[in-house]
Amino acid sequence: MTVVIGFEGSANKIGIGIIRDGEVLSNPRRTYITPPGQGFMPSDTARHHRAVILTVLKEALEQAGLKPADIDCVAYTKGPGMGAPLVTVALVARTVAQLWGKPLLGVNHCIGHIEMGRLITQADNPTVLYVSGGNTQVIAYLERRYRIFGETIDIAVGNCLDRFARVIKISNDPSPGYNIEQMAKKGSRYVELPYTVKGMDVSFSGILSFIEEAANKMLSSGQCTAEDLCFSLQETVFAMLVEITERAMAHCGSQEVLIVGGVGCNLRLQEMMGVMCKERGAKLFATDERFCIDNGAMIAQAGWEMFRSGYVTELEDSWITQRYRTDEVEVTWRD
Amino acid sequence: MATETNQETGKLEFILDVPFPSSREATVALRSLSPDREPRRGVISKRLSVSGSTLSVRWSADEARILRVSVNSFLDHLSLVVETMELFGPPVDL
Repeated sequence: MTVVIGFEGSANKIGIGIIRDGEVLSNPRRTYITPPGQGFMPSDTARHHRAVILTVLKEALEQAGLKPADIDCVAYTKGPGMGAPLVTVALVARTVAQLWGKPLLGVNHCIGHIEMGRLITQADNPTVLYVSGGNTQVIAYLERRYRIFGETIDIAVGNCLDRFARVIKISNDPSPGYNIEQMAKKGSRYVELPYTVKGMDVSFSGILSFIEEAANKMLSSGQCTAEDLCFSLQETVFAMLVEITERAMAHCGSQEVLIVGGVGCNLRLQEMMGVMCKERGAKLFATDERFCIDNGAMIAQAGWEMFRSGYVTELEDSWITQRYRTDEVEVTWRD
Repeated sequence: MATETNQETGKLEFILDVPFPSSREATVALRSLSPDREPRRGVISKRLSVSGSTLSVRWSADEARILRVSVNSFLDHLSLVVETMELFGPPVDL
């Protein structure tokens, strides 16, 4: 048996999870929620993580019913993400690894999402759509790398949704994306927005600028409602994501899609992807908010795979990095 | 703790000595706090060392502002490491 504890805090969630051979023993998490109209800044987010991380660590051990001696490896997010929060979490991971005499392991955050999705859904070799507040990528596994087939050329899809929510002062609790999703259900009028697929890549910054301007004009003149804008934005950006995912599947001859990342728990995105999959005779895999949204268990799970295939990170090499592409990691744990 | 201007290099220097219960714990702190490099390499340098059960940090910087930011952030990091040791230590025997 191999037990891995995973520390995640690359954005506004701090989570610590424990995995024992594919079983999630605990996965507590806290979210830093800012007032409507405000995003989360690196130093404030680090302060939030700092204030709760040791409590979350206690919870993770207690809920799992484990003592430090039962743990085989301490995994943490090396990157990508915001620097200050990453450092806060890495400091605790490095310290407990030494206190407990356990090996340390730096994990790529994106790989954490992919491996957690594969574990929960049992998808074998899916084309992966990874969509969150910081990342938007279409990924497929080939020859020991998770290769990026398409991605955003500017901001992430979740960032586009979050910033739109700020413009019209939608609550950030539990998350701006969740609240947009609920409001979109009441929208009926489709407002035409730019549709910006560029080959295998997508762009969201122009859509955001357009809808920011439209929001001010159309809402004040009563041409449409905030709900209509939420609906229109979701339909447009999700259609773009489905299009590039389908093209990657056709390219790879893949019959499976796995959606991961915070935006991946959006049921409308899952529904639209499901329609495309049905038409192609493919299978859709997705998870719910527990595992889609950043959490500690996903770092533990990727760490479990890596540790079992021989990876460890020496303390002097355990620096964090804000930029860390998915395809930089050699995938030694898959055929 | 002391800040002064080095007469030879003209740089600002700051020295911090942190006592720990044992050299083992001082070393744990050193290895937890060392890996991340200063964001502005070139204009500031920071050197950590352990002697006995004392962790010593020595900064050298061109500007007081950059020195202050680095020292502040180091103290935040140090307090987190110390608190982690208090709650999840003491270190196991190697």
